[in-house]
Amino acid sequence: MTKKIVQKVVIFIIILISIVSLLNPIFIVKTDHRGKLIEGLYNHTGDAYDVILMGSSHMNGGIDPNVLWHQYGITSFNYATAGQPIDVTYYLLKEVLKKHKNPIVVVDVYYLCLTNKYGEEGYIRYVIDSMKPSINKLNAIMNCTPFMDLPYYLFPILKYHNRWPELTKNDFRYDSAYKYYAKGFEAGTNKYGKDNISDLTATGTAELPPKSLEYLNKFIELSKKEGFKLIFTNMPNDFNSIAGKDGWVKDPAKMLNQVAEIAKANNIPFIDYGSKMDEIGFNFKEDMNNSGHVNIWGANKVTNDLGKFLKENYNLVDHRNDPKYAQWNSDYMRSQIASLSK
Amino acid sequence: MSWNPKYAILMGTSTIITYLSGLLIEKADKISDKKQAVRLKKWWVFLSFFSNLAILFLFKYYNFFGNVFTRIFSYFHVTIHVPSLDLLLPVGISFYTFQALSYTVDVYRKDIKAEKNLGKYALFVSFFPQLVAGPIEKSKDLLYQFDEEHFFDYNKVKNGLLLMLWGLFQKMVVSDRLAKVVDTVYNAPNKYKGFAIVIATILFAFQIYCDFSAYSDIARGAAEVMGFRLSKNFDAPYLSKSTKEFWRRWHITLGAWFKDYLYIPLGGNRCSKPRYYFNTMVVFIVSGLWHGAAANFVIWGTLHGIYRVTGEMLKPVKKSVIKKLKININTFSHKLFQVLITFILVDFAWIFFRANSFTDATTLIKNMFYFNPWIFTDGTIYKLGLSHKEFFIAMLGLFIVMLKDILGRRINFRIAFSKQSIVFRWFVYFSAIVFIMIFGIYGHGYEAKQFIYFQF
Repeated sequence: MTKKIVQKVVIFIIILISIVSLLNPIFIVKTDHRGKLIEGLYNHTGDAYDVILMGSSHMNGGIDPNVLWHQYGITSFNYATAGQPIDVTYYLLKEVLKKHKNPIVVVDVYYLCLTNKYGEEGYIRYVIDSMKPSINKLNAIMNCTPFMDLPYYLFPILKYHNRWPELTKNDFRYDSAYKYYAKGFEAGTNKYGKDNISDLTATGTAELPPKSLEYLNKFIELSKKEGFKLIFTNMPNDFNSIAGKDGWVKDPAKMLNQVAEIAKANNIPFIDYGSKMDEIGFNFKEDMNNSGHVNIWGANKVTNDLGKFLKENYNLVDHRNDPKYAQWNSDYMRSQIASLSK
Repeated sequence: MSWNPKYAILMGTSTIITYLSGLLIEKADKISDKKQAVRLKKWWVFLSFFSNLAILFLFKYYNFFGNVFTRIFSYFHVTIHVPSLDLLLPVGISFYTFQALSYTVDVYRKDIKAEKNLGKYALFVSFFPQLVAGPIEKSKDLLYQFDEEHFFDYNKVKNGLLLMLWGLFQKMVVSDRLAKVVDTVYNAPNKYKGFAIVIATILFAFQIYCDFSAYSDIARGAAEVMGFRLSKNFDAPYLSKSTKEFWRRWHITLGAWFKDYLYIPLGGNRCSKPRYYFNTMVVFIVSGLWHGAAANFVIWGTLHGIYRVTGEMLKPVKKSVIKKLKININTFSHKLFQVLITFILVDFAWIFFRANSFTDATTLIKNMFYFNPWIFTDGTIYKLGLSHKEFFIAMLGLFIVMLKDILGRRINFRIAFSKQSIVFRWFVYFSAIVFIMIFGIYGHGYEAKQFIYFQF
């Protein structure tokens, strides 16, 4: 009798979880970030990426895989999403590495500056809600979100249920393929028009927030354990927009000096485009979208430089004439940068 | 109301006082001098009531009466200063105090024997499913259940969970949704007129019903899962044909408490007419105060008292009118008329219950008499806190609740449901859970602004 009851209860729970799992994706809000992560994580596993790009919006609009392809024949995908906290980036990287073995991993370090224990919920959800059920997803939820929010991340319908009046056909039959051609990249087309007023020559170091240091070390350990090449970058930006603000470190420039030292001690390249602007012909007024993000023209300059660095320092094969990658040429033709130069 | 671990001490005090009162009453009963025994027993009852009600008064009513006295004295140009206490109302205090007091009286009346085991008695006072919002169980109905053997009973668990599910539906889908319209109008009484107030007031009647009934059903369901039986607290109150009947169907356990432990000791109706009316008024005013320490609740209780007394006074008039006009009182239309009149009277009193202040209540009543039927056609009705889609769900939920009330008089749903095939039952379970999950009002919810990135 007891066995029968236990069986019944287990079956009931399994059916209920299955129903809820089917409903979850319908209710999750459909953002471009969700679309690109689904494509990059689960739908194009046949595309072996030479390079994967990780980070926040700064990376999202900073390095253009279509430029890396067009200029250097490097295949890459940009997994960065707006406001992506560094701990979320770590678990997302682990999920990416399940399908893409031994790529060069470029991580933007901007979000190391965040002092809050957790990132903004909306930004976290771009990533976690787009991940399929897995240990990485569970770890991301357990480590990157408040414990009390656990059920809301495990069953996103509990969060999004009040979207029911606004559901459209797109929610029921969501097709994320529409933007794969951009390979996860999207930059603004504004021109900031102002100079950088933050001190780029700051010397000395400042401590990283504890969680940032923990995850910076985790990236380094993971690269050693998994045997992939790791590169840290910092995109041009005016740190004055966050320095000392609530939730951010007091002195981002000095903190980045500390990151540079940690990277150096571990033989990991750290490319700080903040201090390379003159070298790559980056005009802050013209090449920034706003104080914190490069625009499409700035991204082109930064990407060209990163491509050059990758080509010179790593043994990367040029795939441009490989028929297997023919689609990448047509994708480039649809890209933001190609459209601008038409 | 607030939750603070320190307040457990209050509950502990009430528990110990009433526990001791039981033992002392029983001990006093053994005294051979009967007169002295009765006197001593009464003394213990008095002490138990006095100390328990003193705690309740201090935490719930002290500031209210302090204000009342200050105002009364200031009316006569006498300034007095009653220091106000910065105390938060302990959660559930009104419920468990009444439940504990029922024990003192039940032992006094020899309805039950005094409980020797303090642990068991404490379980009775603090029984968690109904601690916060009832049903208020009399000791003679609940205490003995702690002596019963409890074991896992699949059917009880299933039925209990089903009742809890129904409670969640009432609370999350219906009550909290209706609350949006009610809050919109009642929190800005000067902004709304005519039918907007009428709608909000009608919806409040259902909001408070679904809310309270939901808590009771969840409590009863949770208790049933553990093998305990709690009393039914609501029985289709809005189908009542008189306010007298309404009080037999609304918050039944509180009504029964007042009847047993206040109305009957006062003399009930076995006394002169004026005394009977007085007793009725006292019970309703105290009942109003029990609901909250504010003038609004007193007015609400008084109104119900007036309804009852007037109803009794006009009984002969009503009878002669029916006779003269040859009204057939057994027709559906007559019954419907009675139900509607009762609902209007009850709902009118709810205005005082819900309004944020007495001034707000009078403003709402004044503004209510304005004929603006266009709000139903020009979309205004959907600007009261619920969009048209949300409104539809609210009405659907209300329809289901009322249908259950109407059919529930003839059918025992849980028994009828348990006879259906497993496929049907599971289909209903899953549909209900998913329905509540989607249409329930809970959690932080999705806000578009959380997902809009302003940088680009």
